[in-house]
Amino acid sequence: MMCFLPTLRIIELCHQFPHGITDQVIQNEMPHIEAQQRAVAINRLLSMGQLDLLRSNTGLLYRIKDSQNAGPVSFFLSKMKGSDNQEKLVYQIIEDAGNKGIWSRDIRYKSNLPLTEINKILKNLESKKLIKAVKSVAASKKKVYMLYNLQPDRSVTGGAWYSDQDFESEFVEVLNQQCFKFLQTKAETARESKQNPMIQRNSSFASSHEVWKYICELGISKVELSMEDIETILNTLIYDGKVEMTIIAAKEGTVGSVDGHMKLYRAVNPIIPPTGLVRAPCGLCPVFDDCHEGGEISPSNCIYMTEWLEF
Amino acid sequence: MTQAEIKLCSLLLQEHFGEIVEKIGVHLIRTGSQPLRVIAHDTGTSLDQVKKALCVLIQHNLVIYQVHKRGVVEYEAQCSRVLRMLRYPRYIYTAKTLYSDTGELIVEELLLNGKMTMSAVVKKVADRLTETMEDGKTMDYSEVSNTFVRLADTHFVQRCPWVPVTENSDPGPPPPAPILVISEKDMYLVPKLSLIGKGKRRRSSDEDAAGEPKAKRPKHGTDNKEPIPDDGIYWQANLDRFHQHFRDQAIVSAVANRMDQTSSEIVRTMLRMSEITTPSTAPFTQPLSSNEIFRSLPVGYNISKQVLDQYLTLLADDPLEFVGKSGDSGGGMYVINLHKALGSLATATLESVVQERFGSRCARIFRLVLQKKHLEQKQVEDFAMIPAKEAKDMLYKMLSENFISLQEIPKTPDHAPSRTFYLYTVNILSAARMLLHRCYKSIANLIERRQFETKENKRLLEKSQRVEAIIASMQATGAEDAQLQEIEEMITAPERQQLETLKRNVNKLDASEIQVDETIFLLESYRSKVTMGTLGWLSLLSIDFSSGHGSGVQALH
Repeated sequence: MMCFLPTLRIIELCHQFPHGITDQVIQNEMPHIEAQQRAVAINRLLSMGQLDLLRSNTGLLYRIKDSQNAGPVSFFLSKMKGSDNQEKLVYQIIEDAGNKGIWSRDIRYKSNLPLTEINKILKNLESKKLIKAVKSVAASKKKVYMLYNLQPDRSVTGGAWYSDQDFESEFVEVLNQQCFKFLQTKAETARESKQNPMIQRNSSFASSHEVWKYICELGISKVELSMEDIETILNTLIYDGKVEMTIIAAKEGTVGSVDGHMKLYRAVNPIIPPTGLVRAPCGLCPVFDDCHEGGEISPSNCIYMTEWLEF
Repeated sequence: MTQAEIKLCSLLLQEHFGEIVEKIGVHLIRTGSQPLRVIAHDTGTSLDQVKKALCVLIQHNLVIYQVHKRGVVEYEAQCSRVLRMLRYPRYIYTAKTLYSDTGELIVEELLLNGKMTMSAVVKKVADRLTETMEDGKTMDYSEVSNTFVRLADTHFVQRCPWVPVTENSDPGPPPPAPILVISEKDMYLVPKLSLIGKGKRRRSSDEDAAGEPKAKRPKHGTDNKEPIPDDGIYWQANLDRFHQHFRDQAIVSAVANRMDQTSSEIVRTMLRMSEITTPSTAPFTQPLSSNEIFRSLPVGYNISKQVLDQYLTLLADDPLEFVGKSGDSGGGMYVINLHKALGSLATATLESVVQERFGSRCARIFRLVLQKKHLEQKQVEDFAMIPAKEAKDMLYKMLSENFISLQEIPKTPDHAPSRTFYLYTVNILSAARMLLHRCYKSIANLIERRQFETKENKRLLEKSQRVEAIIASMQATGAEDAQLQEIEEMITAPERQQLETLKRNVNKLDASEIQVDETIFLLESYRSKVTMGTLGWLSLLSIDFSSGHGSGVQALH
């Protein structure tokens, strides 16, 4: 009987001070309780999940857990009667990692538990459907754990370009070609219109919003694509040298503008034709460094040259 | 001088001048400047031959001489000038496009002879042109002189430095080697000559075969008996001016590819207006006002002033950044950013090589690293949207070929690999140098292959030459068709086929040499622009922006 009273009193105190109370406050309130009994009471409340233990610059703080958080924990408690403290600790760590998930080695560091224990606990929790393992795209061997009902973050699954940890190169290629074709036709119609050069140039540009709309309407993508996704595809076209981009200031509210500016894209031609060196067989030769007169490979007996001359 | 360059010089010297000149020339390129006796001793050739070889080399501007202390004259070979010999066909072709056949032949004669007097050039060219004209027509000297004067006015030919006439006739010993000087304003001054005459046709049938009669006939005479009026005034081709022209061509075609024909014409007009006023190494042309440009547009290009202004604005705003706006007076002052243009052309060359050698995905990665300057492995994969394994493979391939380099940034002082950032970057200058070296070796390979092909078929070539000589002589003596037919059949059909193939192959190899030389031109222009550094800045400061109005350079033709 005696041991319950301090716990209730402590809970009342915590409700009084929702920002947390120190050990000193509890001691002041109940001076007659010994330190050891106080510690037992606090530990019991902590293990029941009704108190949160926090560290402040003055010392340790005990705070009442608010009802939201208390919810799943009490559910959890009801599921596992007599559960290990260790399991609770691991669960806590995983929950704190949010939707980015946490790697098993990191769980080990944080909880200081041996590897075998960790693995057992994780398997336990997984079978109880409290946590799940998600494979990360960064390292395919790594598995991160997160709460069962959470959506994994984009950085883990890779976003629209990954489906089941596989980078969808064909999908990216198809989008790449479609965007380029769209911009190319736009530039050609602009060129043929033969109006004054300003209008011609401006009409050959397309904003990222226009391209995004075109791609959505094409319907080649099963996944919903955002404008940023389309912009990453258009950037690859820039790195292909087929497209150039300018940024113009746009009023807030005009369709497609982000933070007061818009990105415009235009299909362009390369500024020089394939250079002279690559038209000669030596420019593309894989054994160029081994070739010298009088050797096994020499200009006189070069098979690439012979083929090229017969062409 | 790298091995590849020396090999290429050796091949060129041998092809144009023969074994002895090649030996001396290559020796000088390898060892730097040396006096006469040392050259003779080291190469093991007789003094007489060395002198002759040096004469040839000096005549063609391939070797220069300097008097050092204690009166020793040292000779130095100019490797880069020897490599220019590859470009002779391009120079001649340019002269042809600008000044038609007359110009073409003038430049050809000057290049083949190194230095010549104007009268000698005019005479020779007139004779050659007369050969090709119809019977009864001859080429007048005055026409050739006019073209020569025009070439000098546009700085395509220049005077060679000469010995200055000293006023005080000091009877001291003459210096061991003449010091040649030339002043800027005299370089393109054409002497007042009255060259009167017409080209002579070399008739082989009516006169003696030797062709000497010209000197013996008094009515044609001025040649060997009278002194040449402009003796001592020698002319040479001004290669820098040709290079400037090639550079302008490259810029104009780049603009045409990126924008449209009209924009490229405007840029061409601007470049033409700056031809003489801007030194070829300047980073920007002189500022030109939009009014001036409008006045100088070629006839027949009737676009209104407003449209011109619009084009100029578009050019100035384009991401290419070839044209920049430097002020607003006179309807807008515009400059052409030459250094940026050369940089862009060199970068485009690099990208083109990467694309053709490694594929378009590699080219994407290359352009990505070029634009973003420094990237980590992971970032490369993300931006280029290429799967990690393939991206890694391509990066390492380009790294091994030295197109891309790695920059290490350690996090800890012990440079532990797990705690170091590794960033990929492109160093354009070093990649350009690497590519240049490859170009030199490629041309050397092509020349060697060409020589090999010719040597393989030497017997056949000699036979066909003999047959042609026989046919020609028989035609001269009026043989019948049947006899000619018989002689022609000495060459069988498969042999004829072989000759055809040989001719085609040699032409193809030749053309390829010239194409690779175009790449060399772009890369070398970029390299010289970068290594100029502070000198470029000094020349920029000397451009007077306030005189933009009055400098009104008229179009040159």
